[in-house]
Amino acid sequence: MNTEPKKFNLNKYFALTKASILEELSFRANYLVTFLGNLIYLCVIYFLWKAIYNSSPHDIVNGMTFSDTFIYLVLASAMFNFLETYVVWIMAKDIQTGKIVVDLIKPMNYQLYTFFYFSGIYITYFFITFMPTFLIVLFFTWGKIAIGINLVFYVLSLILALIINFCIDFLVGTICLYTESIWGTNIMKEVVVLLLSGATIPLAFFPETLRKIVEMLPFQAIYNLPLTILTSNNTDPSGYFQAIAIQFFWVVVMIILSALFWKKSIKVITVNGG
Amino acid sequence: MKIKKKTNTLRYYAHIYRMILAQDLKSKMNYRADFIISNVGIIATNVSGFIAFWIMFQNFPSILNWTYYEMMFLYGFSLIALTPVQLFFDNNWNLRFQVYSGDFIRYCFRPINLFFYYISEVFDIKGIGQFAFGAGTLIYAWKNLGLSVTPLIILKLIIALFSASLFMIAIMNIAAATCFWITNSGIVMVFMFNFKDYARYPITIFNSIFRFIFTFIIPIAFIAYYPSLIFLRPDNVPLLTYLSPFIGIIFFYISYKVWITGAMQYSGTGS
Repeated sequence: MNTEPKKFNLNKYFALTKASILEELSFRANYLVTFLGNLIYLCVIYFLWKAIYNSSPHDIVNGMTFSDTFIYLVLASAMFNFLETYVVWIMAKDIQTGKIVVDLIKPMNYQLYTFFYFSGIYITYFFITFMPTFLIVLFFTWGKIAIGINLVFYVLSLILALIINFCIDFLVGTICLYTESIWGTNIMKEVVVLLLSGATIPLAFFPETLRKIVEMLPFQAIYNLPLTILTSNNTDPSGYFQAIAIQFFWVVVMIILSALFWKKSIKVITVNGG
Repeated sequence: MKIKKKTNTLRYYAHIYRMILAQDLKSKMNYRADFIISNVGIIATNVSGFIAFWIMFQNFPSILNWTYYEMMFLYGFSLIALTPVQLFFDNNWNLRFQVYSGDFIRYCFRPINLFFYYISEVFDIKGIGQFAFGAGTLIYAWKNLGLSVTPLIILKLIIALFSASLFMIAIMNIAAATCFWITNSGIVMVFMFNFKDYARYPITIFNSIFRFIFTFIIPIAFIAYYPSLIFLRPDNVPLLTYLSPFIGIIFFYISYKVWITGAMQYSGTGS
């Protein structure tokens, strides 16, 4: 919107964060079920991969032990639960019902407005569903997750992953302007992101050529890079810096891409009746 | 309409179902892009599951003596068994919205079975994509395992698939019916629905507690593992496999009773 003042007043955006935290906190039962779901998933992953590793003649497959794989997959699922805030659904529903018009006339950048609206959800989900799962995994596999500089880099990496993930969601939500198929569009996004980011199966297990291709895409920056940072016991931080640099690159690219696409698409929007 | 008199026969219900189905499909045809994209989406989900399996077996030759093709068999079987719940029972997902808004009351005044009428209203076409993918996977596994094709075995397969499909339907009926009593039934449904993804693994990978839960409490082991044993381990079929059609029917009947009980004590919202 052109009416936006040149100087950025972030306070109005943080007001959104606060509002959405309060809104989220009124749905406490959701957290309990999400957390319970994480616990069951944790057990299933444990038994499945234990069986897989037991059937294998080697203890280390593709450089990953059983506990590496276990930690990686459970945390990938916990990350998914906190990153999937249904941005696409809510954007597409707002487009369909016409509510989006009300948001568009607000003196804010729509993408930033959406991001800060969801930021509160991210924050609450992080503390209420992700952290407990993380702590359980940490104690369950005591000593397997190194406690040191990697945790600092992991948190930083997680924030960058969140921004990349949000931009992809925003991009896909914009696509819904054209397709009018929320379920189908969203499920395709989910499938592509989960598989190509290494959330379903660690990238280390992928065949060589497939992995080379996937490593050039932005998706691996969402799950694979943060989780690799966390599970590696490197004392040398140069690998961490490299991973963060790759993520940073994708943050910039995705922000530009999603903003440009939105700017172009907003011209075609048709709201029935409003 | 000639069949006005017999309002309780199967034929009458089949007739009604066709009429409602035609209306539903007509309205869906207005959103052709959605139909195509949804089907591509559901196929994409399954292709990704397939690729995940394939990658796993690139690294590990077998899982507890279950080979790649046997696991593929379980996967394909579970996809087909999960098709009816997607195709015919998808309206369960809307139940909570209708109950909370009060719209549900309009179903209560029809002179036909309430559950039947409600469920028949939506035919979810994206199940077709899932069925096609499941059938393809099952045939692929069937061929590579060198299983025979005889009329008897086909009959067994149909019975096995039919009874397997009842379990997920029953689970989702009960999960949806919770909305008559609690306000957070949406998360109960999602929570239960996610269990279907574990149906594709042999239950022997779990410890005894989870085996018990997945057999008797949330019976997802009946969706693929138990019925598949007839074809994959014909020399060593447990009693539960033979009982599964009966357990399926009983379980479905219980879920129907729970659903109806909830609906009967529903008093509307006054609007």
